Amino acid sequence: MNNPIVEFKNFSYIYPKTEKIVLDGINLSIYEGEFVGIIGCNKAGKSTLCQSMVGVLPHLLGGKWDGDVLVDGINLGETKGAGATDVIGIVFQDAESQFTQETVEDEIAFAMCNFGYERSVMRERIISAATDCGLIDMLDRSPFKLSGGQQQRLAVACILALQPRVIILDESTSQLDPIGRDEVFNLVAKLHQQGRTIIMVDHNVEKIAEYVEKLVVMDKGKIILADKAEDAFQKMEFLEQFNIRVPQVTEACLKMKECLEIDKAPIKLENAIQLLQIKLEGTNFE
Amino acid sequence: MSENVIIKTSKLVHTYPTGVTALKSVDVEIKENEVVSIVGQNGSGKTTLVRHFNGLLKPTEGNIYLHGKDVTSQSVSQLSKEVGYVFQNPNHQIFSTTVRGELEVGPHNFQFSEQEIAKAIKEVSELMKIEEDLEKHPLTLDYTTKKIVTIASVLTFRPRILILDEPTGGLDQAGREILTKIIQMMKERGHTVIMISHDMDYVAENSERIIVMSQGRIIKEGAPQEVFLDEEILKQAQIEPPQIMQLDFALDVRKKRSTISVQDFVKKYKAQFPKQEGE
Repeated sequence: MNNPIVEFKNFSYIYPKTEKIVLDGINLSIYEGEFVGIIGCNKAGKSTLCQSMVGVLPHLLGGKWDGDVLVDGINLGETKGAGATDVIGIVFQDAESQFTQETVEDEIAFAMCNFGYERSVMRERIISAATDCGLIDMLDRSPFKLSGGQQQRLAVACILALQPRVIILDESTSQLDPIGRDEVFNLVAKLHQQGRTIIMVDHNVEKIAEYVEKLVVMDKGKIILADKAEDAFQKMEFLEQFNIRVPQVTEACLKMKECLEIDKAPIKLENAIQLLQIKLEGTNFE
Repeated sequence: MSENVIIKTSKLVHTYPTGVTALKSVDVEIKENEVVSIVGQNGSGKTTLVRHFNGLLKPTEGNIYLHGKDVTSQSVSQLSKEVGYVFQNPNHQIFSTTVRGELEVGPHNFQFSEQEIAKAIKEVSELMKIEEDLEKHPLTLDYTTKKIVTIASVLTFRPRILILDEPTGGLDQAGREILTKIIQMMKERGHTVIMISHDMDYVAENSERIIVMSQGRIIKEGAPQEVFLDEEILKQAQIEPPQIMQLDFALDVRKKRSTISVQDFVKKYKAQFPKQEGE
């Protein structure tokens, strides 16, 4: 297997002026092209983990840390805060609070301006990122007058313009209505198909199960489970101990596992429908 | 008007200064001590409607009645003691420098005694598990805790009616369970809870009645089982039912009755399979 694009080696972290260990001995490898979901209760350390991958922690905020975080082989501890912005980008929960510009076009250009990109390169990348994110007809609109889904897609476009190989979305859909949420999931699925590595923190386990390949489950600063999503969600009773539920269709099938004579419950709606339709054939169910 | 109606609107119309008419002659009744959810896509008029209940918005036409009394011209300060409103985005609500300060605002404004304020803060912070956060700056808290603080800040002055705008947004499973406990507690104590939500899993399991809105009008009202069975309405309002209901719909083409929870689903289908557990 190739080297991981993101690698945590026994990484621990404590925020400044606190004693609490928020990341505790993290070991995790994420490989190029993976679609990884990170779930866990609030204060489990999910956002801290994400911020550690882009170098915000520990360089920007300070605090105490131990161990290493490597992005594409670069040890972020040795980058003095610059992180690996050409490799990895992050989109936060509240996109609106990130915006500073008057138009969608300027907003997408903003990070590139800071990095001193050539004007012609910026123009090309604005068009490309706005097209990918479905914003090409909105370049002259105010970022603050977009819908929630459009704002999140703009936040993704701003990152995408820097052409990172890894995109992290930290609870980017939690404030969106179902239409906006689906817009974001569909967009990242498309970016994943184009070969990008996607790391997504989200509370919606049904959507996570629908899209991700690998699941990382956190609790109290530790990774308690990291496995293929279809295997991780089988461990319903284990996850319940940490206040984490599995998709509704998985829960239902696991509760009927004996009757259905299955080893593994489906984690996606489509697969659950197929399974149960077959099982109901020949029964008296009407 | 029936006796137990706590809020009623009559031919409510609201047109924003932009010219957009967000409510088009809405007649709705909210009963005392019920837990009701208002659902619909963005722009359907949900938030505009409930903001009339505590005076945040004034109707262009029509009337609002609280306990049968016309309160159309009453101000927010007159109505908010009775009707507490928790905003969707906690950052739009928080302005104190400590969580304790945030929790004190409501009871102070309504002239609670210092003793009553201390008692209310103790009770609410214990219930919502934020005792350790009381001296922290609210803006340093994570999003979920901020959200819980905003709910707590309204509960401290014990409004008869609690309006929660997208209460589950950003909440984890533990946060959702706390929210459910709060709603149950409010119900047991005789309060009325009105939720606006896109979270159909939560709404299906935690509402007695659902009001569906589309394009400024109410297009359906009823128990969750009834509302989620109406495919035409769901389509019109662009509502996605909970995943377990979608599974049930796909299997039970006759749609004799719907299952709103995993427990219901397992009960309905388990008996269909010849091999029973334990065999």
